[in-house]
Amino acid sequence: MATLPMYASESARAASASESRYRITVPIAPARNARVIALDARAAAVARRISDGPWTNARFYTCEATRGGGPADEFLLYGLDGVPATLDDTLRGTDVVVVIGTDDSGGTRAAAIGNACSARAITTAGVVLGDGFEADDAVAALRPHARVLLLSADESDAFELLRALRV
Amino acid sequence: MLRQDINELLTQTGPGTPMGDLFRQYWIPALLAEELPENDSPPVRVKLLSERLIAFRDSEGRYGLIDEFCAHRGASLWFGRNEGSGLRCPYHGWKYDVTGQCVEVPSEADNSSFCENVKLRAYPLVKVGDILWTYMGDPAKRPDLPEFEFAHVPPEQTYTSKRWQQCNWLQAFEGGIDSSHVTFLHSGGLKSDPLFKGAKGNEYNMKDTKPFFEVADSEGGLFVGARRNAEEGTYYWRITPWVMPAFTMVPPRGDHPVHGHFWVPIDDENCWTYSFDYHPARPLTAAERQAMIDGHGVHSKNIPGTYRPVANMDNDYLIDREAQKRGETYSGVAGIAMQDASLQESMGPIVDRTKERLVPADSGIIKARQKLRKAAIALRDEGVTPPGVDTAHHRVRSAAVVLPQAESFLDSCRDAVKATPGVPHSSV
Repeated sequence: MATLPMYASESARAASASESRYRITVPIAPARNARVIALDARAAAVARRISDGPWTNARFYTCEATRGGGPADEFLLYGLDGVPATLDDTLRGTDVVVVIGTDDSGGTRAAAIGNACSARAITTAGVVLGDGFEADDAVAALRPHARVLLLSADESDAFELLRALRV
Repeated sequence: MLRQDINELLTQTGPGTPMGDLFRQYWIPALLAEELPENDSPPVRVKLLSERLIAFRDSEGRYGLIDEFCAHRGASLWFGRNEGSGLRCPYHGWKYDVTGQCVEVPSEADNSSFCENVKLRAYPLVKVGDILWTYMGDPAKRPDLPEFEFAHVPPEQTYTSKRWQQCNWLQAFEGGIDSSHVTFLHSGGLKSDPLFKGAKGNEYNMKDTKPFFEVADSEGGLFVGARRNAEEGTYYWRITPWVMPAFTMVPPRGDHPVHGHFWVPIDDENCWTYSFDYHPARPLTAAERQAMIDGHGVHSKNIPGTYRPVANMDNDYLIDREAQKRGETYSGVAGIAMQDASLQESMGPIVDRTKERLVPADSGIIKARQKLRKAAIALRDEGVTPPGVDTAHHRVRSAAVVLPQAESFLDSCRDAVKATPGVPHSSV
């Protein structure tokens, strides 16, 4: 037998505007430690623009100038200040990676980043900017790994995603 | 999270607000046609976008949607006498036609022209399908009538209901593009609801509780694809279209009718949820129609004579903790519609989005808010007509398909997400 609620209208009272005043209000600290990785030159320009945002725990990287001939998952990333970093170092301590791509040139790197994130249980999101066809390879490479792929013509979507995630 | 000023921009739809002006670019559902069943039937109070109106059907079958209050002393025309091609205020006999024009002021001289100068605010009211639609914007910019497929298939193929939801339109609407909650909140319904059960797609839903998402722009709004593992080398995709400002469709299951919603602001703390089911290629069976009337699927069982659900916040949605323990329902609330409404209303009349902690899987919601905000601002600042006004944007469908893993749902489902008359929906 179902247990009767304490009041006949418990939900009605609890959901009222006046009761909203009693919701606990405490500052919400940023909970995400994010890395934003631009896969190609246009994506790097986007990353530079949005890096000026009010981020507490976001670091931005490019990988448009991959160097060396080692395995794909050992390629170097570059911070926006030009300092190189390995993918392994970049992913250490993070819990979400947002990958930005605009064309097919980043497909291999997208797959490597996606694989590395999957192996480390890091949530991956992809923002693919353009008309949807320019970056087919990057999309296909990210698809198995990215919890969400945002296909958009609007670069501010990357900014809005980061803001919504409180990084 | 959303900044407070943006939350206010998106949730306030009264006259003169940016989002109110945005809604006023579109034809929106005003009431069900069944609410005005015959000529001279009783007038109906209608509150839309924070404007109090009265709807009536005159002696010639013309529909009218006018200011609720008599221009004379402000009495409600809900008490009016619907007679002789007009609605007459019973207080002193002033009478109005469907355009809001005052046509009779009994206290004036017989040939007085006084009433010619008295006109109530009025909006067009047009029947398309089972719904009476209105357009509350600039008459010079009135778009063509809506072309959503559910409203254009033959009557025997479609059914529409509505229910009062006690929260702001945005938090109700956001449930419509949030495909990830289905596996949890509606898991009981996938097994038992007569309008859901039995589909192969349900098995994929239940086996893979961590869907991946792809969110893509469409001309009228968005497509949100939710992807789950299917057989080896394939994905099960559920594709939800959103047409701005507030039309969404739920991906179908098997040969069940396909369904969706239109969320219409009543005021900033209440909305109407219009819920429809239709089959593009065959009449609804008697059993399907009865199930919809009984409140199954996306519909609700309403208190007779009203559009308020039987399970509502005043009775704690008839929550049944034993049914929850038995696994019949996930939350203890019965029915897909009220499972959604109970949680959305529990957030409060207007949820404080500054306190959210969104995750990447919420990207459909994040993107939809962004599109709404940008469209409202572009309209306000530059007069840009928003997406979804063009009736070509209305001709979309939801779809459920199994695709090879390498295929993009956008590329593979171009035809499946187009409304093509007489062609069955793509479903699994």
